[in-house]
Amino acid sequence: MIGSKISKRYAKALFSLGREDGSFEQYGRELLEFTRICQDHSDLRNVIANPVFKLEERKKVLHFVLEKVTFSVVTKNFLTLLLDKHRIGALEAVADYYSQLVDEASNIARAEIISARPLKGETLGRIEKSLEDLTSKKIKSVVKEDHGLIGGIVVKIGDFVLDGSIKAQLEGLKQSF
Amino acid sequence: MVLDKKTRKKYVLVVVCMAAFALLLSGPFTAAETAQGSGGEAVHEENPGEADGGGQETDRTGDLLDLLYRFINFALLVIILVIALRKVGLKETLTGRIEGIRQGLDDLKEGKKEAETKFKEMERKLQEFQEKKKEIVAQYKKEGMAEKERIVAAAKERAKHLIEQAELTIELEVQSVRDQLKRDVVDLAVQRARGIIAKEITEEDQGRLVDEFIERVGKIH
Repeated sequence: MIGSKISKRYAKALFSLGREDGSFEQYGRELLEFTRICQDHSDLRNVIANPVFKLEERKKVLHFVLEKVTFSVVTKNFLTLLLDKHRIGALEAVADYYSQLVDEASNIARAEIISARPLKGETLGRIEKSLEDLTSKKIKSVVKEDHGLIGGIVVKIGDFVLDGSIKAQLEGLKQSF
Repeated sequence: MVLDKKTRKKYVLVVVCMAAFALLLSGPFTAAETAQGSGGEAVHEENPGEADGGGQETDRTGDLLDLLYRFINFALLVIILVIALRKVGLKETLTGRIEGIRQGLDDLKEGKKEAETKFKEMERKLQEFQEKKKEIVAQYKKEGMAEKERIVAAAKERAKHLIEQAELTIELEVQSVRDQLKRDVVDLAVQRARGIIAKEITEEDQGRLVDEFIERVGKIH
């Protein structure tokens, strides 16, 4: 919980800088890219997030990596700050919250679509369209599969849940008696 | 020892009587001595058989004197007795005694009257007590009956309440069992339905469900 709060604080700080110079989307993309690099190269993450190594050594490693990518100065400084403050381990949480802030600022709603069976090509587009009409926001969806639903789909947008599954209908039927 | 007046009088009377009795006894002896003192005439008197024939003409003066003495003696006795009795105050004593007896009788009559009055009073009180006792018994019987009726009514009310409560409990229990049974049946039915649907559902069904979902979302909007 404390880690989550701290992550949000750092994300908000970077977002406010991005709003000032109008580059918040770029910062978001760079954060996500660096997060992906860390995920792809777990050794890198283990070195820079490991307090066993000296801070200077970890900083050298980070700078070496950052020199190889074309990130903005703000993003580079932000990542260095995270390392100095020993918060580089919370990079994924910071990037995730930053994405939410960017989505809110860009009028984008994230939707989690859970389906009992794989969705066909145009079906996903129709679902997103209907959700965009409902929320008046652009929908950025993530599709998951859950065979426990038996049939139908469930959509979660934040705390808002739309359940159109057979499982929910059977539960409703049970409750009606 | 100090004697009271009455007792002293009695003693005096007894002494006088004894004296009189002594005088009465001494009379004949005095007469005999008088006869001896007068010569052989007394011998003739003691043996009248020897003088029969010529004895009928014997002098009878001694006998008359003897008789006289006896009279005198008796008169003295009477006089002494009268005097002694007067001295003693026999009349007053008897009068007092009579008066005392009369007074005693009066007292007894009075006592009897009082006793009768008390007896009547007690009888009246006893009668009152009996009546009161009857009243109290009747009152207690009445109260007892009322109490009995109250207890019986309360018991009936309690029994009625208990029966109602028991019926309600039974009803609730039956309802609970019925609901549980219904839930079990529904659970079983839903479980069976889930199994059948999972087995029977097709891609077309899934497509239809998604379409329905999209339609519902559109209606919400």
